[in-house]
Amino acid sequence: MTHPMLTRAAQGIAAVLLLMAAAMKFMGDPGSIEIFARLGMDPAGRYLIAVVEMTAAMLLLSPFAALGSVIATAVMCGAIIAHVTELGLVVNNDSGRLIGMLVVVLVCVAYVLVSRRKEIPFVGETL
Amino acid sequence: MPSTFAVDLEKMSRTANTGLVLLLAVFGAAGYLVSFYFHFVTVALFLLVLLNLYWRYGQTSHTLLANFGFLAQTRYIVESVGPEFRQYLFASDTEERPFTRVDRAEVYRKAKGIDSSEAFGSLLDFDRDEIKLRHSFYPVDKKDLEPFDVAVGASRGLDTTFHIRRPMMISAMSYGALGQNAVRALARGAKLAGTVMNTGEGGHPKYHLMEGCDLIFQMGTAKFGVRTEDGLLDEDKLSALATLDQVKMIEIKLSQGAKPGKGGLLPKEKVTAEIAELRGVPLGHDVISPAHHIECKCPASTAQFISRVQHVSGLPTGIKFCLGRPDEFRTLVQEMKRQDTLPDFITVDGGEGGTGAAPKSFMDHLGLPLFEALPIVHRILEDEGVRDRLVMFASGKLISPGRQLEALSLGADVAYSARGFLLALGCIQALQCNRNTCPVGITTHQPHLQRGLDIADKARRVANYVGALHHDHVELLAAMGKSSSRLLTQENVYLPTGGPVSPASQELS
Repeated sequence: MTHPMLTRAAQGIAAVLLLMAAAMKFMGDPGSIEIFARLGMDPAGRYLIAVVEMTAAMLLLSPFAALGSVIATAVMCGAIIAHVTELGLVVNNDSGRLIGMLVVVLVCVAYVLVSRRKEIPFVGETL
Repeated sequence: MPSTFAVDLEKMSRTANTGLVLLLAVFGAAGYLVSFYFHFVTVALFLLVLLNLYWRYGQTSHTLLANFGFLAQTRYIVESVGPEFRQYLFASDTEERPFTRVDRAEVYRKAKGIDSSEAFGSLLDFDRDEIKLRHSFYPVDKKDLEPFDVAVGASRGLDTTFHIRRPMMISAMSYGALGQNAVRALARGAKLAGTVMNTGEGGHPKYHLMEGCDLIFQMGTAKFGVRTEDGLLDEDKLSALATLDQVKMIEIKLSQGAKPGKGGLLPKEKVTAEIAELRGVPLGHDVISPAHHIECKCPASTAQFISRVQHVSGLPTGIKFCLGRPDEFRTLVQEMKRQDTLPDFITVDGGEGGTGAAPKSFMDHLGLPLFEALPIVHRILEDEGVRDRLVMFASGKLISPGRQLEALSLGADVAYSARGFLLALGCIQALQCNRNTCPVGITTHQPHLQRGLDIADKARRVANYVGALHHDHVELLAAMGKSSSRLLTQENVYLPTGGPVSPASQELS
């Protein structure tokens, strides 16, 4: 059903995109600042999310990829909520680039989550 | 109206399942209306709700989760950490199995060279039926004790007669079952302590030989190391092995306590180039250990096979078995007498099971326990008038001097232990010997787990353990008024009726 090579590829893609996103937030990219300002979370929330994204990315590249995919999925869910409730689908006239990235990461981490569900701590055995 | 306080778990779980969804809605609203920070909780709850839906409606393999949802999972989680919690916090000092904390602490102390005396009474349950040693009104002066000396092979007048000078030997554990560091630490410890080590049935004992200790070569039913391609005895290989200076005795394993009457299968994935070479098996094939030696089909052929190994090797040669039916053993002894070919020693393995992995039913239900089997074997040998022509070794949880002397009183001449020595190496009874994950690096081949097992340090502990056992052995013998363990008989142990060594089982023979 799931292929080990595909799972590894998905882990790699998701990790790279998450690291890029985290780096932009850390470096104070004006777009990120504006988004988090609109959510009322700048700068503390921006750094917090960056740290979580970085942690998830590193876990995705480690033997604890299952845990990483859970955390990344949670972050992506949060981002979807942000776009749906506050930001809208097109942010700063980027014609949906941001939401496109989001969907790519979400698909990747969901794939990892499904293929590695048995490895999730505490609940893996029941899945 | 119920008189006692009771929790309706079903109602609670129903409330929890609904509550979870309500909570998700509350936090979602708070995230929208108050602060986006609330959504940290929202997403966590969202994932939990999804998981809960799957548990309740999407799966069929866990009844509790299907009926009650996520609250039931807490039960699985708590249960999964149960063994560790019980061992760390709740298990009393005398209730763990196979070895209680009191048992293990004695070995640890002996191995570390710490005084193992205790105060304010025994921790054992004295109301239970237990075997006890009987002391004498007239203890012997310790300096009048004879040094421990058991000669194996003397009755046949062999030039290669071997003298065992320690009452305790290291029982069969192969390279394969143990990692190389553990084997070498045991071998070096045996050398330091002047005791003998059994190689186990792992073939050519490459790592056992490294440290220069005396060895008993064990020939399992697959005859690893001395087999032909068909699994028969290769006489050339055996005689070559017997010329090695360190190999002092040969032990033919007929059965073992962990799984008497059962062979084994080494899957081809585990047959590395090194294992294939040491065991003398082809690469890329499953290796089958038969349930019995192919040569041994009946009493006559078994006696012939023992005699053949004796003559090919020229060394003291014995057999190891776990006793099942005393009448079968008596027939075998009678046949050996008829052919005038007796093994030089007999190892009686208790059905308690040892380090070998085995199906649970074999481990728990097959084979007589050691203290039942020993007196039976001893008496059959005496009945047939051959007891003084061979030496008896005993193994089966003989990790403390008390149990060892009990075994010697019940008929054995020398005690054998495997697990006692694993404890001396630092075993914490994690019960993972068959999973290659031994946390203290003993029964694993993973380099990162073996890293912490320092050969020099652990060898000293092994030697300390043997030394302390010998010391206690002397003290106990003196208190029992015996100048040598040879003089111990069943009169020297108290055998409670209804306890181990019950009259009922002895009538069987």
